Amino acid sequence: MKKTLLGCLMAASMGWSSLAFAQSDYPTLSQLNQRLQRIGSNASAELKSLTKTAGGKDIWVLKIGTGNVDEKPAIAVVGGVEGYQVVSVELATKFAERLISDHADALEKTTFYIFPNMSPDAYEQYHAALKYERRGNATSVDHDRDGAPGDNGYTDLNGDGYITMMRVEDPMGEYVASKDDERVMVKADRSKGEAGNYSLYPESKDDDQDGKFAEDLKEGIAFNKSMTYKFPVFEPLAGDIPVSQLESRALLDYLFEQWNIFAFVTFSPANNLSSPLKYSAPNAKKRVVTSILENDQALNSMVSGIYNETISAKPYMQNNQGMDGDFFQWAYFHFGRLSFGTPGYWTPEFKGKSNEEVNYLAWADSLGNTEVFVPWTEVSHPDFPGKKVEVGGIKPFAMSNPSYDKVDKIADEHTDFILKLAAIQPSLEVQNLKIESIGNGLTRISLDLFNNSPLPTHSEMGERSRWLRKVRIDFGASEDRLISGEKIQLIDVIPAFGKESLSWIVKGKGDVTMKAGASHVGFINTTFKL
Amino acid sequence: MKLLTKKNSILALAISAMSFGSLETQAQDKFFKAVGTPHLPKVETAWNRYHTYEGIVDVMQKIAKAHPDLAKIESIGKSYEGRDIMTLTITDFSTGKDTDKPGMWIDGNIHSNEVQGGEFALYTAWYLTEMQVDTKFIQELLKDKVFYITPTINPDARNDFFLEPNTAHSPRSGMMKLDNDGDGLAAEDEMDDLDGDGHITMMIRKSPTGRFIKNPLDSRRLMPVGADQVGEYEMLGQEGTDLDGDGRVNDDDVGYYDPNRDWGWNWQPDYIQRGALRYPFTLPENRSIMEFVMKHPNIAGAQSYHNNGGMILRGPGAEEDVSTYNREDIRIYDAIAQKGEEMMPGYRYLTVYKDLYSVFGGELDWFYGNRGIFTYSNELMTSYLYFHENGGGRGQDELYKVDQLLTFGDAFVDWHTYDHPQYGEIEIGGFKKTFGRAHPGFLLEQDAHRNASFTIYHAYHTPKLSVLDVKEEDLGGGLKAITATIFNERLMPTHSSQDLKHKIERPDYVTLSGTNVVAGFIVEDEDFKKYTEQIHYPEKMAVSNIPGMESVKVRWIVSGGNNYSITVDSAKGGKANWKK
Repeated sequence: MKKTLLGCLMAASMGWSSLAFAQSDYPTLSQLNQRLQRIGSNASAELKSLTKTAGGKDIWVLKIGTGNVDEKPAIAVVGGVEGYQVVSVELATKFAERLISDHADALEKTTFYIFPNMSPDAYEQYHAALKYERRGNATSVDHDRDGAPGDNGYTDLNGDGYITMMRVEDPMGEYVASKDDERVMVKADRSKGEAGNYSLYPESKDDDQDGKFAEDLKEGIAFNKSMTYKFPVFEPLAGDIPVSQLESRALLDYLFEQWNIFAFVTFSPANNLSSPLKYSAPNAKKRVVTSILENDQALNSMVSGIYNETISAKPYMQNNQGMDGDFFQWAYFHFGRLSFGTPGYWTPEFKGKSNEEVNYLAWADSLGNTEVFVPWTEVSHPDFPGKKVEVGGIKPFAMSNPSYDKVDKIADEHTDFILKLAAIQPSLEVQNLKIESIGNGLTRISLDLFNNSPLPTHSEMGERSRWLRKVRIDFGASEDRLISGEKIQLIDVIPAFGKESLSWIVKGKGDVTMKAGASHVGFINTTFKL
Repeated sequence: MKLLTKKNSILALAISAMSFGSLETQAQDKFFKAVGTPHLPKVETAWNRYHTYEGIVDVMQKIAKAHPDLAKIESIGKSYEGRDIMTLTITDFSTGKDTDKPGMWIDGNIHSNEVQGGEFALYTAWYLTEMQVDTKFIQELLKDKVFYITPTINPDARNDFFLEPNTAHSPRSGMMKLDNDGDGLAAEDEMDDLDGDGHITMMIRKSPTGRFIKNPLDSRRLMPVGADQVGEYEMLGQEGTDLDGDGRVNDDDVGYYDPNRDWGWNWQPDYIQRGALRYPFTLPENRSIMEFVMKHPNIAGAQSYHNNGGMILRGPGAEEDVSTYNREDIRIYDAIAQKGEEMMPGYRYLTVYKDLYSVFGGELDWFYGNRGIFTYSNELMTSYLYFHENGGGRGQDELYKVDQLLTFGDAFVDWHTYDHPQYGEIEIGGFKKTFGRAHPGFLLEQDAHRNASFTIYHAYHTPKLSVLDVKEEDLGGGLKAITATIFNERLMPTHSSQDLKHKIERPDYVTLSGTNVVAGFIVEDEDFKKYTEQIHYPEKMAVSNIPGMESVKVRWIVSGGNNYSITVDSAKGGKANWKK
């Protein structure tokens, strides 16, 4: 009996894994793990678990490269930054798969770090019996700071397995049905004297009897709200201190050891690729910098241009250029790397609709996608005796994730973009090399160390960071042969298509070596024949 | 066999009692109690010397062993190099759990060269436990309060300061090795103790183009010659060599980070706040303390000892954080610190960002900003203590005089010649690492006592709650009203205004039991009958704050039950009970 059961289970799990190739929906965590293992089995890839989350899930990194992987400039690709954005996990994973199978040539010059899923605890909610857009991990947190953690989460009032919204008929309410689409609730325009007739809440009960709804969620800390840049201290999902979670610490500890990363591509709601961040002189000049620096804005603008040439979707409602405590801004402001972010997917603009939900529903209707909306249906609610309460709204995940069959094309385009970014990485060359005898056994060696790239070796922010190494030139002549010039030189930055002129005077015969570069810029090794 | 052991131990006890008795007699013959100082302390020690980490832990263990009802010792975490971070919990354990009493946190030595915080914290633990036996004030204090004392929160580098070559300013950090000069190598050009005396002093060299001479009146001192005069010596800087061959001496030592820029309040990265690490609490030492404080919400006051300059510092560390410190709280900070200025002559009460320099991610800001704890950092040692006058900016001049008149040359390494691999023949000499910032032995005990007294005063003014007055009023129909006054007898509120602003700590609960509660109110104005009702759970009234030296009134309407009791439960204010 036991044996048969086991046999059944095995057959079932095998069946699943063979289905993975013809997946019709986003993968479960175990399906995802299988794909990562498959990538990791490739000779140029190394799969490593950085830690396990409070929910017992692995935080994976794939390090993909060939040869001396730590001395080649690297790009880090990060997904699952928001747990509800399941497409971001898929985009990061598909990039790794395509890199290995179709673009191995890119590994000659670049190393890639792929962190497919930073929010596995939250990601699971997509496949759970009760589905809702979750951001927090599995730790226990007192979001409303009343002394009892997680004591007012969501309640599936209508029992449909989705957490949507609830509206309460209320002459004092702030909301009305939209004139463009009565399914959508919008704020009454009080400036035009418009009265509201609904109160609007997430689908929930007032479990802790404090008059508030779903203000103390059962989920824990959100990865994308708990980084150090503009950390929103004490806010729900952020917690009391930044980088407080196992996964955030493990990721950062790992990143701080990888000196070769020059750029991040983060799949999360923040977008500085459809249009670049805006430079603000006063904010950039403050001691605590809160604007992209002027030179870096130009780089952002150039890379944004490459993105918009590569991605076919036209930007719509891409206004999020960073939220407090998020990862995308951390990578630039606190880690000093070039940081590029995109959700990868958004609803296309449809018939000039200005409200995001109205636009989405009109677009979904045009495709015959009626499944995406839960019609408002009356329920009885213990906290609103004698009032009409209805549950309904756009289903969780629908707006932030495309249907799975659309992901392949998005992944192809974003793979192309990341490879184009890799192709313009900083690249050092020796130019104008002169080896001249100046008599009496003395030789002068002079050269220009040229950065043949539209990107500088160090962004303006990167120059300030202690966590990026300077360009270092080691001149291999022994001390007794070196008449002038430095044995070790450190250079703060070599600009885009810029150079650093170097010269030494050496005594006597015998070859002299030079090594120049930095981990995130790559190294060149040269031997001068004397 | 068993019986025998017992007999033996009884015998041993008897002997030890006898010997103790004779010691006491002997002591009475020879000594007389000085006021305010433990007489015949169970832990015999001296307060005119410094302790290594092992020395501190040894005294802590002796205190815990000698006073099992007053002191417990525990490791709250490991340092970077794996040493235990040892904490003493000091309270009268017979009067309740430590976590039920308002707590005072004391630490020292976060900057490893700022050593005497270790001794001062340790002295406080010793003083409280040894004085408790015959001092009523200390008995009451340890009934009401708990002290958490961690003399060194940087044990690795504390030992490095004493046991390895250093200046008075090194190491400031811990022992983690980082790449300071950005060449990809970490700590490859450390300081070198060329003459092997444990002190990194200065190097000078005779030179025909030198601009200095030795002062003819005091050969310890180098003085510049006039603009039109030829000198004899040139200054070469700190004792050391260029180990990594980059033409600079001692340019990449251990550290170059600051443990006091590693705390999770208003934290900023290294390019804004030099010395910051990866993210708040990168350092295991600080993380252990943070976790301890999080688990002890009863901590209401804190002191973190530094050196030097004679200051009682409060936050904010940065101007950007000025709005965090509210007027109500500053009033309390002022009241306690102004008393401190009287208790510690030569010490001035200052605010970090405007009187010192900017600090992002400092410890005292975290304690206050993140936990709502009233926190000071005392900068120990002031030159005022030498001659009881303010130095008037004479700095170095005064140190030469101190070493001449009070320490008799023990503070200075006399100039002596040395054959340097890069500079040739040089002279090495200068003040020792243990002079200037650290107290000389004869000043240690007095200043330790004054600072300990200040932390005791600080701890005394953590909240103390009592149910002052309970009034009953018959409302007819079997109903009565009960009005209770909850009084806070000390300066500090149960919730600082920073705490209230962010709901850092749960409210205080005033609970009525033994009767049927129909309704509960906070009394806003008793005379004009202004009440605010708490609709849910009226038997357990949630009071957002009980301000210092003020009271809060709670009113219930009840039916039946005459033997009721009232309990007050506050995270930072402790507990109070009243029974009819």
